Amino acid sequence: MSLTRRNLFRLSGAAGLLGAANPLSAFDQFFRAADPTLAASTKVTTCCGICSPACGLQATVQDGVVRFIEGLPNDAHGEGHLCGKGAAGAQFLYDPDRLKYPMRRTNPKKGFGEDPGWERISWEQALDTIAAKMKETVDAYGTESLLFVTLPSPDLWARFMNAMGVVNRIDHIDVCFQTDRIVQRYTTGGKTWCNDFENSKYILLFGWDLVAKAKVVYANGIVKARGNGAKVVHFSPTYTTTSRMASEWHNINPGTDLAVALAMIQVILSEQLYNKEFVDNFTNFAQYESQIRAHFAQYSPAWAAGISGVPAADIQRIAREFAASGGGIVPAHKKTLCANYMNATQLVHAISILNMLAGTIDRPGGRYFPRTYSVPGVDAVYPPPAYPPKSGRRVDGRDKLPLVQETDTGLFSTLADGMLNKFPDMIKFAFWNAYTILAFPNPKTMEQAMAKVDFTVVMDFIPTDTVTMADIVLPSAMYLETSDVVVRDYNAKYPQAVARAAVATPIFETRTAGYVAIELGKRLCPDYFKTPDGAWINPNTLLDEKVKRAGLGTNFADFRAKGIVENRAAFTPRTSFATGDANNKCQIYVPQFAARGAEALPLWHPKREMPTEHYPLYYLTFIPGIHKRNTTQNNRILNEIMPTNAAILNPALAARLNIREGQMVLVRSRVGQIGLPAHLSETVRPDAVMVAHGFGHQSRLLGAAGGRGVRDGDLVPEASIDDFVAAGNYGGASCIMDAVCSVEPLS
Amino acid sequence: MESYGWLLDPKRCIECRACETACKQWNRVDIGVGVRYRQVRMKEIGVFPNVRMQALSMACNHCDDPLCMKVCPVKAITRRAQDGFVVIDQAKCVQCRQCADFCPHQAITWNARASRMEKCTGCFDRVEEGLQPACAALCPTGALQWGKWSEISGMGSPSWEGFVGEYTKPHLRFVTDPYPSGR
Repeated sequence: MSLTRRNLFRLSGAAGLLGAANPLSAFDQFFRAADPTLAASTKVTTCCGICSPACGLQATVQDGVVRFIEGLPNDAHGEGHLCGKGAAGAQFLYDPDRLKYPMRRTNPKKGFGEDPGWERISWEQALDTIAAKMKETVDAYGTESLLFVTLPSPDLWARFMNAMGVVNRIDHIDVCFQTDRIVQRYTTGGKTWCNDFENSKYILLFGWDLVAKAKVVYANGIVKARGNGAKVVHFSPTYTTTSRMASEWHNINPGTDLAVALAMIQVILSEQLYNKEFVDNFTNFAQYESQIRAHFAQYSPAWAAGISGVPAADIQRIAREFAASGGGIVPAHKKTLCANYMNATQLVHAISILNMLAGTIDRPGGRYFPRTYSVPGVDAVYPPPAYPPKSGRRVDGRDKLPLVQETDTGLFSTLADGMLNKFPDMIKFAFWNAYTILAFPNPKTMEQAMAKVDFTVVMDFIPTDTVTMADIVLPSAMYLETSDVVVRDYNAKYPQAVARAAVATPIFETRTAGYVAIELGKRLCPDYFKTPDGAWINPNTLLDEKVKRAGLGTNFADFRAKGIVENRAAFTPRTSFATGDANNKCQIYVPQFAARGAEALPLWHPKREMPTEHYPLYYLTFIPGIHKRNTTQNNRILNEIMPTNAAILNPALAARLNIREGQMVLVRSRVGQIGLPAHLSETVRPDAVMVAHGFGHQSRLLGAAGGRGVRDGDLVPEASIDDFVAAGNYGGASCIMDAVCSVEPLS
Repeated sequence: MESYGWLLDPKRCIECRACETACKQWNRVDIGVGVRYRQVRMKEIGVFPNVRMQALSMACNHCDDPLCMKVCPVKAITRRAQDGFVVIDQAKCVQCRQCADFCPHQAITWNARASRMEKCTGCFDRVEEGLQPACAALCPTGALQWGKWSEISGMGSPSWEGFVGEYTKPHLRFVTDPYPSGR
């Protein structure tokens, strides 16, 4: 629906309790006739909140209304610029469908087709109801009956969950870089997640596609690297924006990157091409040399070529070039390689080994540890009383995967199976914070699982599908309405912190997750939400204290006035790596993996699903650069650029099946089917169907996104914990793309 | 008169569309009626796996010899004396749409909701304040740059594969140099 002022009011009216139109509201001011003079406007420094690098930005604010958003000069992430999503940020703030008040459900029947019968309530009523329900649930069924599904949690949330003894927590990290995090912990000793692309000489990308996701901090790195003469090689089963930015693109069979990586290690080891200085001094290679050499000897380029479709000569040549470049890097981190396939843990381990062999761990041109300011969390500022022990069963079965068990998060793909089959009726209370059901493999089963939960609270800023399943809805403040300290940790050769300042006058009754944590804490676990002098924790005072202790200013107002604080200290490469190795060396061979039932060296494992007679095609999904996962489709500007998705098919495949451009097709997998228009493109293999993620929101309260497109996840099988254990998925990779399908024209 | 122009380096474009969305935000362009002053236009060339893509961020190029201005029957389109930006005077426009039909760069659109012809203004309001147009100001990789035409015009090629309409003398240049070859 188009968004004129008249429509805006009509929408607000149609949405009923979601918000009566207020003629003096910021909404109205934002959409009034343009005032090009921008008289009396101010520029406020703050940070983006759409994706995790949180680029610094400047908001032009006039009468409390955000008019324009642009990049912040000298910010290490955006480098003074933004992507298309960031530039459209005001449309999130002034989304006419925003949740405006707490609401409670009056229709007990739950499902995506059901009208919840929302009724506006006060924050007091909402918080009292939630607290009473949580207490009642814990008293009757224990803490294992609580489920929290969240984005990476702010410290106050973590404190609340710890104080309540919450065992079942699912986090965005599970579907993001969990495997990379687990592998790095034992191979390099922590967060070697920064990529020094601009100083790299050879960049090897296994499915890594963050340029196509328009992450400015990565895209700029690749552009600079190529400008500096680096070679960039991209392995991907589809030709993407990243392929276009690369020097070479290689079509690879989906989910077989691991075979190529293993063969490259074999070439580098057998031809003695590795960086001897680094490998001998800073890895455990010497200690395990015979095991390592014997292990990789089985993975020849010819073997990998048979699996991956990449010619053996290319594998050999690229391995040699990479090693000879004297400064190669293989990034991992996030979809599209950590979360996609069942063999992601082994792939990330192989990638880590390639980086060690190149000798660039925490060295110029390689993967390095972020140099950041240390901003204390609430537990450091106000030490809590001892937290209660966590007891109870993990609904996602995480305890069967010791390496995942050591993290503070869980497993996405097995949650629905746990709730429906393994531990039916265990979860009685669920709290979803800014997470939508579209993120899950096979969301249909997650919908069934959600419908079984007695009481569900959802906090979000727009009425997503998840919101329509809630008993209580809490309206969330969005990033332009909140204040915080944001450290630069993606491009972080020296410490830099940027102030996130609330730039807009808060609209309606939105609140932060931190506020909710404190308010629920006061009601349920008061001892954990007091300062040493007995007063309730105040989020503003807490923020002042964090700023002061991190050395960023005398208080938040002082820091905010500075905007950016940095310390351009020289980069000193690490010589000691806290991997658990007795000599503090990086670990190629990881004894701790073996001790936890996993593999000390990465073994070849195939992906879960391979083409069959009934499902002869690979199923590929992607996140378009103009959208952030499933959270931006209702942004009117972004929606206009990309409102829906299609089944992207190679013209040769389409011709064979008599499918024309734009024709409706049915794509099926063993767990579901989706009907959508075909789009023919030479960027996709003839043995695959590709569908964009993020569409298929069913909530009709989403004026732009509701009812548009289909859910890519409907074809992706969920998993049980037994599947993960049997397949050696030790790092809990979510398999969000591990599927095969068929396609047929609909007449 | 000092006029201005754009320098496009397609190999740096990551298709993030910051140029598009920044333009829509700054100029308060109507949403949902197909009016996009600037668009990243994509084109596939070749057959899988010998395929490549082209991404060109395109808008009005504020030509030296604008066809839109020539064909306008009521002289509603003019080049501003102070900065060379080609603008539409909505008070004079009779919405015959000839300008849109003749523009070789497909830069002019009919806004059915507001009943008017629309196109890039060069963000002349920003330029008057000493700022860059929103598109170039936001572009994260330097794929789209903007500056004085006296400088930009000598910085690249007027031609690019598939780009038509050089004859209107667009204030647009393309960086054709490839990246240095990889090691």
